Amino acid sequence: MHLMQLCQWLYDSHFGTVIRESQFAFPLIESVHVLGIALLVGTVLLVDLRLLGVLMEEEPVSEVVSRVLPLTWCGFVVQVLSGVLLFWAKAAQYYENPAFRWKVALLLVAGLNPLVFHSTVYRGVSAWNEKHTTPIGAKIAGILSLTLWSGVIIAGRATAYFGK
Amino acid sequence: MRAVDLFQWLGHTAIGLVIRHSKWGVALTEMVHLLALAALGGSILIVDLRLLGVGLRRQSALRVKREVAPIFWGSLFVILVSGVLILSTEPMKCYHSEAFRAKMLLLFLALLFHFTLHSKAVKAEPAIASVWSRSAGAFSLALWLGVGLAGRAIGFL
Repeated sequence: MHLMQLCQWLYDSHFGTVIRESQFAFPLIESVHVLGIALLVGTVLLVDLRLLGVLMEEEPVSEVVSRVLPLTWCGFVVQVLSGVLLFWAKAAQYYENPAFRWKVALLLVAGLNPLVFHSTVYRGVSAWNEKHTTPIGAKIAGILSLTLWSGVIIAGRATAYFGK
Repeated sequence: MRAVDLFQWLGHTAIGLVIRHSKWGVALTEMVHLLALAALGGSILIVDLRLLGVGLRRQSALRVKREVAPIFWGSLFVILVSGVLILSTEPMKCYHSEAFRAKMLLLFLALLFHFTLHSKAVKAEPAIASVWSRSAGAFSLALWLGVGLAGRAIGFL
C-alpha cells in the first residue's frame, strides 16, 4: 500500500475523524503533546548539559544519565502516544506538510544519536565519570541532541503554518 | 494607568508591530517561547519530582534546585520576554480572553508559590519525600500545568 493511501485511510477512518472533529479530544491531546515537551526535552536537556560539562558538574555523569533518562523515556512515550493520535486524525494533511516531514526526519536522527553515543563514547565513561571536563565525543553527542530536539520543536510549531 | 490602556499601548509599540507584520515574526517568537518552555519545564520538573521522591534521589532537593538554577532563571527570562512580545502582537484579543487572564493568574500564583512555600519545602532537610515536600512538589506541578493548559486554551477559547 502506498504511504499516501495509508495516510488517507487513517484520515478517513472513524477513529481519526472522531478525534479531528471532537471539540475536546483534539485540543486536549494536543495540549498533552505540547506540555509533554517539558518531560521529554526538558529532562534530556539536563543530561546533555552534563555531557557538555556545564551543568551539575559535581554529579557523576553515570548518575545523571541513569536517574534522569528514565524520565526522558516517559516523556518519549507520552509524546509518541499523543503524537500518533494527532497524526491519525490529520494524517492526510500532514503527509504533504514539509514542516512535519522535517520533524519526523529530525526525530529519527534524534533517536539514533543516543544509540550511537551509548555504544561508543559512553562505554568508557568510568574514565571521565566524575570529571568536570568530558571527552569530545560526549560533547558532540550533547550538542547534537540539543540541536536535534530544538529542531523537532521548531518543526513541530512550523507544522501549523504549512497546514492547508 | 488602567490595565486596558497598558494593553493598548503594547499594541502600538514598534516591536509589536514589526513582529506582527513580518511573515515569520510571530512564528519565530512562538518557537522561542516553546524552546524556553522545554527548558523551564525541565528545571521545574527535576526539582518537583525530587520533592516527590523521584529522579535524583541521592541529592537533596536544595542541591538539585541550585544546580539547575541557571536553566530556571535563563529560561524564565526568555519565556517572559517572548511572552510579552507575543502579547504585543495581539494585546486586545488577549485582554478579553478568559484563557489569557487565567494563565496570568496561574503564572502569578505559580511564581508566588515557587518563591515562598515551595522554597521552604526545598530547603527542609533531611526527610526525603515527607508529606510536606510531596505536597509542595505536587502543588507546584499542578500550578505550572495550569499555566501551560491555559496558554494552550488561548488559541481555542
